[in-house]
Amino acid sequence: MNSPRFELTRIPLFKRVVTSRWVPWLFMALTLPIFLLAILTGLFGTPAGSRNFGIIFVWIVWWALVILVMVPFAGRLWCAICPIPAPGEWLQRRALIQPRAGGKLFTLGWKWSPRLNNIWLQNISFLAVALFSAVILTTPFVSALVLLAFAALALGVSLLFERRVFCRYLCPVGGFIGLYAQLAPVEVRVKDAALCRTHTDKTCYRGSDDGYGCPWMVFPAALDKNTYCGLCSECLKTCPLDNMGVFLRVPGKDLQTTKGRRLDEAYKAFIMLTCALAYSIVLLGPWAALKETAYAVGAPAWFVYAIIFLAANLAIVPGIFLACAWLTRKISLHKFSLRRTFTEYAYVLAPLGLAAWAAFSLSFVLINFSYAWQVLSDPFGWGWDLFGTANWTWTPYFAGLQSFLQIPILLAGLIAAIGMALRTAHTQGVPSRAALPIVAFCAAFTMVLLWLYV
Amino acid sequence: MKREWFALGIVALLVIVFPASLFGYQAWRTNSSDARVIDVIASSPENGGWSPDEIRVNVGEHVRLRIAAPDVVHGFEIPALDVRVDEILPGHVQEVEFVATRAGRFPFACTRWCSVNHWRMRGVIWVSDPAQPALPAPTFAPPLYQQLRIDIDAMHPAQNIPPRKPSAARGAQLNLRVDADFRTQSPDAVFAKLRADAAYDAYDDQQLWDAIAFAYFQNVGAENIANGARRYARDCAACHGERGDGQGPAGKDLPGLTTMHPDMPRGPANFTDASAMLGASDALLQGKILRGGMGTGMPEWGSLYTDADLWSVVAFLRTFTFDDPPAP
Amino acid sequence: MTKAALSYRHTHRFGIAASAVLLMLAAILVPLPAQAYTPRAHTLQINARAFAFEPGSLSVRRGDTVTLVLEATDTVHGLYVDGYDVNLVAEPGKSATATFVADKEGKFKFRCSVACGALHPFMIGELNVEPNLPFVRALLLTLVGGIGALAFFWK
Ligand code: HEC
Ligand SMILES: [Cu+2]
Ligand SMILES: [Cu+2]
Repeated sequence: MNSPRFELTRIPLFKRVVTSRWVPWLFMALTLPIFLLAILTGLFGTPAGSRNFGIIFVWIVWWALVILVMVPFAGRLWCAICPIPAPGEWLQRRALIQPRAGGKLFTLGWKWSPRLNNIWLQNISFLAVALFSAVILTTPFVSALVLLAFAALALGVSLLFERRVFCRYLCPVGGFIGLYAQLAPVEVRVKDAALCRTHTDKTCYRGSDDGYGCPWMVFPAALDKNTYCGLCSECLKTCPLDNMGVFLRVPGKDLQTTKGRRLDEAYKAFIMLTCALAYSIVLLGPWAALKETAYAVGAPAWFVYAIIFLAANLAIVPGIFLACAWLTRKISLHKFSLRRTFTEYAYVLAPLGLAAWAAFSLSFVLINFSYAWQVLSDPFGWGWDLFGTANWTWTPYFAGLQSFLQIPILLAGLIAAIGMALRTAHTQGVPSRAALPIVAFCAAFTMVLLWLYV
Repeated sequence: MKREWFALGIVALLVIVFPASLFGYQAWRTNSSDARVIDVIASSPENGGWSPDEIRVNVGEHVRLRIAAPDVVHGFEIPALDVRVDEILPGHVQEVEFVATRAGRFPFACTRWCSVNHWRMRGVIWVSDPAQPALPAPTFAPPLYQQLRIDIDAMHPAQNIPPRKPSAARGAQLNLRVDADFRTQSPDAVFAKLRADAAYDAYDDQQLWDAIAFAYFQNVGAENIANGARRYARDCAACHGERGDGQGPAGKDLPGLTTMHPDMPRGPANFTDASAMLGASDALLQGKILRGGMGTGMPEWGSLYTDADLWSVVAFLRTFTFDDPPAP
Repeated sequence: MTKAALSYRHTHRFGIAASAVLLMLAAILVPLPAQAYTPRAHTLQINARAFAFEPGSLSVRRGDTVTLVLEATDTVHGLYVDGYDVNLVAEPGKSATATFVADKEGKFKFRCSVACGALHPFMIGELNVEPNLPFVRALLLTLVGGIGALAFFWK
């Protein structure tokens, strides 16, 4: 199946940028001090979150950038410039720019267990952060500790395992970026698959003097979805045949086939969907007792909240979906096992979930974005005024209009999900009506969010 | 290899020099000033209150206080030195400078309701004179209630209650002279004296009360009432209620006079209670405000208010029992 | 598939997409039946404490004159109503009042506008100005859009 794509690497300037060995370093060298500042302000700055650079730049500015801009339009772009794995990666390579000739990676070289060759750990790490989000999002010190823990873990893991094991298997953010990156209109792919078959060196996986073997442990020559492609551009550098390219493509192309759909990834979709709903209720709803319970970590009521939260993510929402899948299977005359039906249709939730997150994020990002100007001038809340913006007042942007932005986003997510559900039915070779229970699930979810927002 | 070192150098610069320069900038801000910079943290009493809550400076020293509020909105005031910051927003730092010209012990306090315990949020500035190490002995005149030997903790119900709430506006129409010392005499006592006086037989009870209200307000003046109103809103209304009914949100769990006897009233005094207010002289009310309740939940204000301030809030308290105070 | 069948499918799909878009436009624009209603005046008292508004939801009807009285019970809080640009700041002992005409229907979040602690950004309540037409239209829109998408992708 050939859908139209446009090769961006045909543009000379673009090609020079993505094949430059300096560019990834440059981005990380820029994001690293910002990351450091977020940690330092969290540790030493004011405990008032709204005036702390760490809270505002991580949970408002960075978050908005990732979920509203990078993921929908450029997939895993963030992973290419993320500072968290940078120190570990540089240490592993013992180089920042040019690979050492014939150099081996500086690590103990442990083998990652094949049983963990999935994203279950990422599902768990995301849930762990999500469960404490009411505290992490609002308390600079805790937020900084979490960031520090990520950085320490990434560094530690890089000493034990080759390549980006932290990013690929552990990072709580990486999991959902990967899931939603499949919707992005950008991809790194082989230009001509036939050419690859003639090339037996496989430098794209093993590395060469021009670059490293895929840090994300995917085989670029066989790349067919964005999920685990970190857009690091190494394969563009290591391919001696110049057969790798960056392409503009039909958004969501990776989700057109049902090949290789897995339960761990399906669960990622459920967790993201459930969290978007849970946050919309708990954090943005008018029910103060819920917020306070979510915040009171360790209190008896919090344990009840934790159990309900985890159950919703792991059992209730997947359970409802399972019932829909059961119906679907019944309608499609039991062509496939329930597990397969469940798993393959769960990917339909990717556009739905991304839309839900975008809608959820829009509201608090727009309302609180004006804090960014303040903390730029006074990152620690120490009374600085570097750029004269320290005393700008809190000004909610587009207040009262958010729902008019949220409605089209949710609608777009629903339409994409419906399209995918039917397409899944068609690829499975069952009649369209098999997808109806799944479509009903998606529509119901959208309506619940609409009811919460509008 | 050269570019590796270059890249490493840049990273080192960004990762070490950049953070170091941030802390360096803060140190420079502190040390480059010609004033003595003192960092003060304002937290609600539950979170630690003032830190430090004792500040020592010298007479003539140029002091800059850098006050940060990590939790909620606070205010700051050293009444005796006329230093105040009306609003310290969370995560902001407010600076205020002063030079103390005389030695002494000067209490300071938070001026915004930052928690139910806000009124406990106080501290002290000690100003010493290097030339004169011993503090001057405080000049101290016993307050009026002590001179009059009033028991400010006893109940003080009025014998006579006006049929309607007295009105200064109606009183003004009567053109009636009332000579009384309201500081030492309760309105109730003034009324009893007038009623006993045959010269006032032509007036009914309500008229006498209206005349008293008018005379009272004439006596204290509009300016004082306005000043008292500002202080009441800032310092008292959270307990005593905006309408003076004792129902303010911060007064809900205070023991009140029950600390003296279980049958005495709970919680903050109700200034709309005609009996209690008409039975109290200004000296009594001023005494309670000045000294506080000593455990009832009523704070002491004598260390923060001047004499004039104390009398002005008392004057304002009367507006809860007397209608139509003069507008400034 | 023959060429003719293909082009039939294409025009067919184009027809579905076009009618879905038209219907969605209609869902946004059709006048919805309005009930006759004589506006009232409300005085609504809201207590603010960290981190809750009590009550958390208010309901009025479009055209009503709303007087909000914000009373703070523990520390300084604000109340900002999205879309109405009403901003109140109250402190224990100093309540604040604002009066406005609820001339836009829908759900408007109101939120604390003075930082008051950790959960301050989530100190949120909602003002429902009934009838909630935006919600009705949003539902219509999803229904039309959803059914349109079904028809479009149906085989
Ligand atoms: C923290 C709560 C609180 C604050 C703030 C407070 N009060 Fe009180 N007040 C009380 C309580 C409780 C009582 C009753 C117990 C008592 O008389 O000691 C009381 C009693 C009084 C009385 C005695 C009334 C009588 O009939 O004897 C006066 C007068 C008074 N307050 C004035 C003030 C003024 C003026 C202020 C502000 C400058 C103020 N209070 C601030 C709690 C408070
Ligand atoms: Cu305070
Ligand atoms: Cu608040």
